[in-house]
Amino acid sequence: MDIPYTVHARPDTGLYNAKVGIWLFLASEVMLFGGLFSSYIFLRLGADYPWPIHELDWTLGGINTVVLIASSVTVVWAWAAVKMRKHGLYKILMLITILCAAVFMVNKTIEYTGKLNHWSVTLTDGSILSGHLPKDEKGHYIPYQVKFEGQEITLTVSGMHRAVDANPVDYVLPHIEGGAPKFKAAPAAAAYSFAKAKSPDFSALGSSDWELNASTFAQIRSISLAAAREAWKAERDDKIALAEKALAAAEALPEGQERAYGIQEAKKALTSAKNFNQVPDTKIKLVATAPFKVAVEASKLLARQTADAIIFRDGSAATGKLLDDKFTLEADALDLRSLADQAREKSLAFDARYLGEKWQKHFIANRAAENKKFDEKYSDGKGGVTRDREKSATFKKHAYGLHLDSPEPKGDHGGALGDGPHHPVLHIESKDITFFSNYTPKLNTYYAIYFTLTGLHGLHVVAGALVLAYFLVFNGRMLREDPEHLANRIEVGGLFWHFVDLIWIFLFPLLYLL
Amino acid sequence: MSAAAIPHDHAHDHAHDHHEQSWIWKYVFSTDHKTIGMQYAVTGMLFLLFGFFLMLLMRWSIAYPGVPLPGIDVLRAIPGLGWAFEEMFGRWLNADGSLNGELYNMLGAMHGTIMVFFGIVPLGFAGFVNFVMPLQIGTIDMAFPKLNMASYWCFFVSCVLMMLSFFVGTGPVQTGWTMYSPLASTMTIGVSDVWNHGHTWWLMAMVFNISASLLGSVNVVATFINLRAKGMSYMRLPFFSWAMFVIGFLLLLAFPPLEVAALLQLSDRVFGSSFFLPTGLVEGGKHLDISGGGSPLLYQHLFWFLAHPEVYVLILPAFAILSDVIPNNARRPLWGYKTMVYSVLTLAFLSFLVWAHHMYLTGMGTMMSTYFQITTVLISVPSVILLTCLMISLWGGSIRFNTQMLFASAFLPMFGIGGLTGLPLAFSFIDLALHDTYYVIGHFHYVVAPGTLFALFAGVYHWFPKATGRFMSDKLGKLHFWPSLIGMNLLFAPMFIQGMAGFHRRWYDGGKYFEQTAAFQNWSTTFTHKVGAFLGLDIPDNMLSLNVVMSFGAFILALGQVPFIINFWISIKGGEKVKSDNPWQATTLEWATPTPPPHGNFVFDVNAHRGPYEYSVPGHPADFFPQWESAHGTPKPDGSDAPAKTESAHAAHH
Amino acid sequence: MSDSADPAELQKHVKKYLLIGGILLAATAATIAIAFYEFPTHSMNIIVGMIVATIKASLVALIFMHLNHERPLIYKFLAFTTVFCVVLFVLFIFSNADPLVDHGFDAPLEAVEK
Ligand code: HEM
Ligand SMILES: [Cu+2]
Repeated sequence: MDIPYTVHARPDTGLYNAKVGIWLFLASEVMLFGGLFSSYIFLRLGADYPWPIHELDWTLGGINTVVLIASSVTVVWAWAAVKMRKHGLYKILMLITILCAAVFMVNKTIEYTGKLNHWSVTLTDGSILSGHLPKDEKGHYIPYQVKFEGQEITLTVSGMHRAVDANPVDYVLPHIEGGAPKFKAAPAAAAYSFAKAKSPDFSALGSSDWELNASTFAQIRSISLAAAREAWKAERDDKIALAEKALAAAEALPEGQERAYGIQEAKKALTSAKNFNQVPDTKIKLVATAPFKVAVEASKLLARQTADAIIFRDGSAATGKLLDDKFTLEADALDLRSLADQAREKSLAFDARYLGEKWQKHFIANRAAENKKFDEKYSDGKGGVTRDREKSATFKKHAYGLHLDSPEPKGDHGGALGDGPHHPVLHIESKDITFFSNYTPKLNTYYAIYFTLTGLHGLHVVAGALVLAYFLVFNGRMLREDPEHLANRIEVGGLFWHFVDLIWIFLFPLLYLL
Repeated sequence: MSAAAIPHDHAHDHAHDHHEQSWIWKYVFSTDHKTIGMQYAVTGMLFLLFGFFLMLLMRWSIAYPGVPLPGIDVLRAIPGLGWAFEEMFGRWLNADGSLNGELYNMLGAMHGTIMVFFGIVPLGFAGFVNFVMPLQIGTIDMAFPKLNMASYWCFFVSCVLMMLSFFVGTGPVQTGWTMYSPLASTMTIGVSDVWNHGHTWWLMAMVFNISASLLGSVNVVATFINLRAKGMSYMRLPFFSWAMFVIGFLLLLAFPPLEVAALLQLSDRVFGSSFFLPTGLVEGGKHLDISGGGSPLLYQHLFWFLAHPEVYVLILPAFAILSDVIPNNARRPLWGYKTMVYSVLTLAFLSFLVWAHHMYLTGMGTMMSTYFQITTVLISVPSVILLTCLMISLWGGSIRFNTQMLFASAFLPMFGIGGLTGLPLAFSFIDLALHDTYYVIGHFHYVVAPGTLFALFAGVYHWFPKATGRFMSDKLGKLHFWPSLIGMNLLFAPMFIQGMAGFHRRWYDGGKYFEQTAAFQNWSTTFTHKVGAFLGLDIPDNMLSLNVVMSFGAFILALGQVPFIINFWISIKGGEKVKSDNPWQATTLEWATPTPPPHGNFVFDVNAHRGPYEYSVPGHPADFFPQWESAHGTPKPDGSDAPAKTESAHAAHH
Repeated sequence: MSDSADPAELQKHVKKYLLIGGILLAATAATIAIAFYEFPTHSMNIIVGMIVATIKASLVALIFMHLNHERPLIYKFLAFTTVFCVVLFVLFIFSNADPLVDHGFDAPLEAVEK
């Protein structure tokens, strides 16, 4: 009892099962990548920033293209070798195919890590600086952190269940340097807006020098919640009593329309009083016995830090004073394409605190040179040009951007290379920054689709290579006893492999070249 | 397809046929299409029940906003169940035990997701196709049995992930089954641990669910094409198999774009990208820390590119099942078999071209909108043809009104209402008023609930004897049918009225806080008010009264499912035994197998001699002429062509 | 491919595969070269680049994936897939720029020039 047509084709369709299966699967893969490519088009057409062109280094991508094409040849060849019963040749070719996949993935890894360590900072006027973080003595990158000295922490324990409730243990403590801070006296809780509510009583915590940790916070939370519920009940009873009084008053009226109306309204009020279920939030203020230091990545904050407060993502706020929130960047490029034409040379990046006048002059000179080059290249012979420079992506990229490949503009003082940093080192103030990110999907939609497409494609490469490796390693017996069946398997695996190659043929120009 | 004709490739594979398989390989990690079909079907039914329970909670809040759930304290006290309820829902309830908007949103989003992706599709498509189709086309199993098992277990993982999303920190998703960005991408973005967020689990579950359905649909299409029995030409295939083949294609080609949408949204949440987030997005008065530059519209396109074909994935199992149940019980051939086949193919093709009729209000241009209006109106033509063919098939029949036929007959008008109310929505100028109102909810629930669900019930009653060797009780079946029919209509018909009165979907209080809308009165509200007064209930004379009616309908519907559940489980061991392999005197090949069908299915060499619907053939002694009988019921002398024995005693209910 | 396993025939096929591999490598070099040559507009760069890529992809599909002589059924599958894929592309683009009311059919091309 075997499934028919696993090896030989069914006469009327001319296909064996796996062949039907793989083509159906590929059809669905076409739709998968079709959806991704059409997202690419959609995002590119809708982009409200200059779409990066020639921004990725094409050499690694180019090498990967060659590698994949080679592996495509070897995999069909391997199939033909099995068909011709040249088993040794088959094994060599299959091995080469799998090695190609490995090379491809190594290249990908190199590319990806390079991007993770590359940062981009958008200034408030739209100028974009990119570069690397500074390194410490051991050669590790020093991450960008907001440094803060705290005195007090305010927690908000919500009375109605909220998706993200106060949770200082997970959201605040990990960022405090030198262990959990200690707090004075019992915390003070803000009063409720309800008239008769009593404030929660935290005396159980002890009066001084208790540590904020999971167990004390659990205590704080349960005390607050209990008090808040009491407050809610008292408020509800109040409302009910009031409504009942109104009802009694209405019922005391003489028969008539007024009475009927009064009763109706009072009944409504009574229902809504009974259904009143607003348990209030409790705001709890904790005062530290000694100032505590916070060092936190900006992404862990709910909002921008201010001079005297930072708010964590669970809503807990620390007050005190801001020590340092400057972003240190070894800048290697400046991009002014998003600015209006006249604003470019006055970019915030040329402020004396940052790149300064020398680079500004350099920019102006470079722009003039690029303009001249353009005029010559597209001269129509009558003093005009044949092409709109504002529509030339490459012109704009060169004329409105700047490579910062020495600490000072070259040719000015002959930028001192050697020991120090190879780029201008900028300490960018937080108030001048609107957005920053490393070169990850967060940076912009181009990198988002780049990582998604290549990542998904990479997964396909890995999956395909694993399948082919399985054939090579575990199907030795089938090769000897039933080579025709193995040839089918390799054909099917190979079809998948070619498809992966085919996708890359489109990915390479779309992401690296055009 | 005799054994001799099949080249012998792997002798070792025979081994497991002879050994007695251990329990776990036979029933849990089985590669047998029938077991997998039943696994899918039972899982699907459990999820339907669970999704139904979510809906009951929602309906309570709509009818009685702010009122504590009845019996909540009792529920919380039950050991085990109480804990689960508390973790999943209880922790979100208001302090007094009433529902709030947040919990309502979770229930709504999960109800939609579970009903569509974990209830109807697994039962209606995966369950029925796996169990019935290989039998119907006369083969021994699916083309890729191992993939088939992988498909179920992939689906199982997705079920587990989806259920776990109820238990994580922020609870399950709250943003509707459509999961529209930017809301879905940025909802409670403050959670820094993405695994603490139900949305991440939802997306992971969907990725597994989609992978499962891809594996399944490759299998279905390949089986349909390559494993048909001798003589089973395309035009001799039962319509059931045709429809399932078409669904396979729909899933295969429509799901990938949704997978793209899920992956991109996952990237938005986990890596902070901006695929679906426009520049300058402000939420809660704050600029989000994102690059922007993406588009929420992209999400909607990707989503509806799947989700419109998906609605046909939801409805076609119904047509598939009824195309067997109706001719069988009307004892008439299926009317317009070929027309139906071509219609279903056209329908499938067109269903890829209409998706943006869900997006008329997104500000698309005139040309686009015109295009989508035209295709949407076009697609109703094949739908109507399918329905009409089924109806005409009843003409002149001597109908047996057993339970499955009752459900089948109710399907016809119910789907009619659902389909006809869809037509006005196809026009953008009407949709402008009706979009996102209860009218739309009424429309699609009429199609899916008393439509598809009824057909699925019919299918369960119809094939139950083949799967278990026992009938389900007809009495309990009727006790199931009538309350269901009444409950469904009480539940969904008032939605049209409310919708046209402007009631928006997704109001957790059923519109109570929109006095202007709610104050509207008409005959239906007055009628409800008076009936209520007669029963001693204080139901207001305005649109809100309908909320009570509908929730009452839901309650009746819930009661109506009790006989079914009892019937289903008791009949497995205690139902009346079938006396033959073909208890319904049917014509298609699945009834030629022993009951229940063994591993490998057929005990004789299957050959399809004729079309699938040879009922009441003039001149033929019996009123049906099965596909497997060679000539006038005479089996070949050597017995190789012997049909399973057929019984005429149980013709029962004329 | 058919079930035939005629070694001489297959040997010929292998030669063909190697030849196609060579052409693909050459076309890759051409793609890169073209990308650094500036056509009058950038959209022309894109169009030319995509034409070269499509030719390469067709070679892979036709020769390596044997689509030059496949069974009719496979062609039918792929024809439908192609139609839906085209729909996915074209309608997405149009919904971004409505040719009737906005800028005519050039709008998508203009957008690339930014
Ligand atoms: C017979 C022809 C049909 C037409 C012309 C039609 C038309 C429409 C239109 C225009 C909408 C969008 C309404 C809006 O959101 O404003 C809609 C919604 C919907 N339809 Fe249909 N429909 C038809 C049949 C079906 C069938 C057979 C099903 C399912 C089995 C179905 C399920 C749905 C669902 C689930 C929605 C709402 C999705 C949501 O927004 O959550 N429809 N229909
Ligand atoms: Cu639709």
